[in-house]
Formats: sequence, structure tokens, C-alpha cells
Amino acid sequence: MDHEALALEMRGLREQVTGITDTAVAAADGLLIAADTADSIDPEGLAALAAAGLGLARRTAQATARGALRQTVTYGSHGCAAFYAVGDTALMIVLGDEGMDVDRLHLATQPALDRIGSILMSRTAEGV
Amino acid sequence: MSGYDLLARSLAACGREGLTGELRVSGVPGGTFHLRNGLVIAVETPGAPGPEALLLRSGRVTGEQWAALVREAGGKRWPVTGLIAHGYTGAAQLRVVCAMALQDAVFAVIAGRIDGCESGPAGLEPPAPVPVGESSVRLLEEASRKLAALATLPYPVHPDRERPLPVLGFEGPLTELRRDVIAHADGRRTARDLAFRTGRGVYTVTVELARMLAEGLLTCPPRPAPIPVRTPPEGVRHRTPPLPAPPPPEPPGPADLPRRRPGGFFRLRNGTTR
Repeated sequence: MDHEALALEMRGLREQVTGITDTAVAAADGLLIAADTADSIDPEGLAALAAAGLGLARRTAQATARGALRQTVTYGSHGCAAFYAVGDTALMIVLGDEGMDVDRLHLATQPALDRIGSILMSRTAEGV
Repeated sequence: MSGYDLLARSLAACGREGLTGELRVSGVPGGTFHLRNGLVIAVETPGAPGPEALLLRSGRVTGEQWAALVREAGGKRWPVTGLIAHGYTGAAQLRVVCAMALQDAVFAVIAGRIDGCESGPAGLEPPAPVPVGESSVRLLEEASRKLAALATLPYPVHPDRERPLPVLGFEGPLTELRRDVIAHADGRRTARDLAFRTGRGVYTVTVELARMLAEGLLTCPPRPAPIPVRTPPEGVRHRTPPLPAPPPPEPPGPADLPRRRPGGFFRLRNGTTR
């Protein structure tokens, strides 16, 4: 896995969409891979919550015949937390303040998810 | 044509037409101008906190109280009657908050990058409209003046660029704004982010950041902190294992060779038994 490329994708997304405060990437089982988060956030706990939240949302979508799951967004009075599945291997977390345009976030995230998925599944010469 | 000129011309055209609707500005941070009879009544942008964020972040109203006000107002985005009736703010104070947020939003839009402008009919009800619309010319002039004033400061700061850190060891009297900035500046937040975090106008925070950087109370790290990345011990794997590959097809047997029969070799060597 190219660590630098993953970090660049995460930082690029934060610079592209006004209002993103934190991002993180974790394996589908909730094991943290990378975190660009403020000190006030526990990234390990957040990754576990995102894995559980996406799992629940995926089962809800299946049980209610809503089709393939796209993302989950939790809205609060001080902003929102969006969880995206990265294929079936990983997940991405984006936190934003109340100024963030969530529709713009979804548009900007889709191509980034594809690239992050490729980065996670690629193998370097050392096999890491 | 510069982005600013494009916006100024588009707003002037909306004014001439007496548009009641929206002018959507694409770019970063971009935004939406809400107009009534050609006058600007509200501006929404990710670049500056609106009246709702200002009231919530300043602690004047809690999130639960806000939700109750919205329910009470039948789902309206801006529960102005309830805000005043419950005594969370006075009517005059609320008008000032809305007017300042409107000017701050225009400043944030023109301080950023403007890619295009598109006018259209009104969509959702505008959030926190000012009772009497503002002329776009006056709003743009005011925002330009602020942008020019910012550029003349000894340490010019852009609302979306610098991500400062406090300089440790400073002991001296600080204003409430400076205390808030020092408490929340973590090397990750821009002036715009700090404005949202502290519930203040983005122009006010940007100017204060510029002054504090010039005075040595804040510093900008040369590069952002690296993002820690680690590969899971067993690598990144698919949640559902791929289906096993189908078995390879049986190679077709030669069609024109004679089939062996049991005992055939014995008969060839020893002749047919009688």
C-alpha cells in the first residue's frame, strides 16, 4: 500500500470541500488504517463506530429493499459525520462542521473512494 | 473576466430584472444569493457561519432548544418568532446578527474563487432573510473594502489558507476572541474553520488571526503534520471471499485412436484363447 498516496487523497479531499474537519480510513472490520483527525477525536473508536454504522445501514437497506448502500450521514447541530464504504474492503469517514455542503461532499467523495480503494488493494515491492 | 466581475455583473442583472429567486455561485467556497425584487435578502455559503451557526455556537441557543423551536414553527428553517418569544434573543439583536452574517457571507464568497454564476427561481425558503433587502452594489463594495483592508495588514491572511498554531509561553492579558482563537487553533483550522468553531464572523476572525500572527502569538507550521498510515497486520482483504474458480474443463480425448479394451494387450501377445 502506498502510504503517501493515501495521505494525499485524504488531505486533498479536506482541501477540496470547504468545511471538512477530519477524515479517516479503516478496514471494513473497523481496524484503523489512517487518520487525519483533531486531537479531540478518538480515531480508533470512530473507526469502530463507522464499521458498525455501515453494517447496520447495509442490513437496513437490504431489509427494506432500498438497493445498494451509498453512505450514511449523521446530522448534528454542530455538523455531520459521513461514512462511506470503500468497495467491500474498507470504509472512509468524513466529519464536517455545519457549513459543509453535504451534496458537494458526496460528489467530491465518489472519485476519491475509487482511488482510495485502488491504493488500499495495491501491493508495493515489499509486499506491504 | 475575473470571478468578482462575473458576480458583480450577474447580481446587477438580477437587480435590473427585479429577480425574486436565487443566484448560485459555483467555486470555492461558492454560495447562493437569495434575492427578492432584485435585492439580496440572504446569502448561504460554506465559507462563513450563518445566523443559525452563530446563535448555536455562541451558546445562546442549545441544539435541543433549536430543534424544539423548529418543531414549534412547523418545520421552518428559521424559527424567528420562537427565538424572540422564548427570549433567546431580542428582535433588534436578531436583525443585527442577520445583517452581519449577510455581509460576512458576501465577504467569504468574494475572498474565494468564483467559477460561475447561474440565476434561477427560488428553491427552499431562504434561511434568516433580512427584512429589507440590500443592494448588491453596496454589499460588494463593503466586501471589497474588507478584502483590501486585509491585504494591507503586516501579515495578510486568507480565510481558507493559513492553519496557525499558538506560540507557547505567552503570558499576558488576552481578549475573549484571542483566548478563543488560542484555545482552538491547532494547526489544522483556518480562519474560516475557527469562525465556525467559535461562532464569530469570518472577517473578524481573519483580521484577528492576521494581527496575532504579526504579534507572534500564533505561528504557521511550515508544513502540515504527517497523516499516520498503517497497514493492517493481515493486509486489506475483501469482506466476502471471492467465489472459487470453476474447475478447468476436461481435456477432450483423441477422437481417432482405438479404445483399449480390458485384456487387449494379453490377446495381442499370446493370441486369442480358444
